Amino acid sequence: MALALPRAAASDSMDRATAMDEAAFRHLYQHTAQPLRSYLLRSCGNAALADDLLQESYLRMLRSGFEGEDDDHRRRYLYRIGTNLLRDHFRRSRPETDRLPERDDGRAHDEMLHLRSDVGGAMAEIGPRDRQMLWLAYVEGASHDEIAEIMKLKSASVRSMLFRARKRLADELHSRGLRPGVEGS
Amino acid sequence: MTGRTCPYEESVAEAARSGEWSPELETHRNGCLSCAELTLVVAALATDAEMLEALDTPMPDPSVIWLRSLLATRERDFHRATRAIIWVQRAAVAAALAVGMAFTPGLWKVARSAMAGLEFSSPLADLPRAAGSPLLVVVISMVVLGGLAFMEFTSLSEG
Repeated sequence: MALALPRAAASDSMDRATAMDEAAFRHLYQHTAQPLRSYLLRSCGNAALADDLLQESYLRMLRSGFEGEDDDHRRRYLYRIGTNLLRDHFRRSRPETDRLPERDDGRAHDEMLHLRSDVGGAMAEIGPRDRQMLWLAYVEGASHDEIAEIMKLKSASVRSMLFRARKRLADELHSRGLRPGVEGS
Repeated sequence: MTGRTCPYEESVAEAARSGEWSPELETHRNGCLSCAELTLVVAALATDAEMLEALDTPMPDPSVIWLRSLLATRERDFHRATRAIIWVQRAAVAAALAVGMAFTPGLWKVARSAMAGLEFSSPLADLPRAAGSPLLVVVISMVVLGGLAFMEFTSLSEG
């Protein structure tokens, strides 16, 4: 799915009433919650926080009264809200919390979850912006322009930033002995 | 480092996601460092995404989210509905204060003459006469009601 950006900004429709009925919301939730949680979880590295951000994303969408043209449109809008929430989270956090915990400290269950796979461990070693960018590009299939607008970056810089992020992740994967064809751990 | 990319990048990314490689693309990937790296990253992330989706941790209950949104909507509607009433109350308090200030000089003269007629040192037997003074009742009532109005005004301002 390519992530085309929604035309209506959240602030434009903040005063509108909730436009979606419960059945439509449940339908949307059923089809979008799992991948959105995966994105949030891999981006922030904390399952409890990811669930909080997930709920807040849906809540903000409902409160904004955003209707969207279809489920895909609403899904793209949710990713945008989720990315904004992640940015706010990392902005509030101390710099050292931007990097995920090392493997051998007294980590909680959710951190274990993040590091359970080699891919999760490799993702933990790169920055949050790299994680978001890589996930949007290679899991969600977002174009460079879409990534730029979602992440509030200059469109021209996305290609090189993505290239560097990819290189960093590939190096981490190589250091864990992963090669094409054996990456599933 | 420059972001040098291969023209086959999009095709390679798609093939790495789906696992469906054409022989030509596979040959290219095996000879292209950038595409081999891309394949590794895309396939790793796809595997990771599948692993995360397969986790048995329960999802947050959508009913709770829906309920919270309804509560937020009702709260917003309530504030919207009471906003007019609050402004009317504020206007009434402001008007009362303005009227009070306009009449203050005249009232002050009346109050002074009335106070001069009162005998605060009068014995207990005279109390009913002093307490029954209409002016005293008006003054005390204004003080009490004014205090209440002021409290209401300040609480509205804080709200």
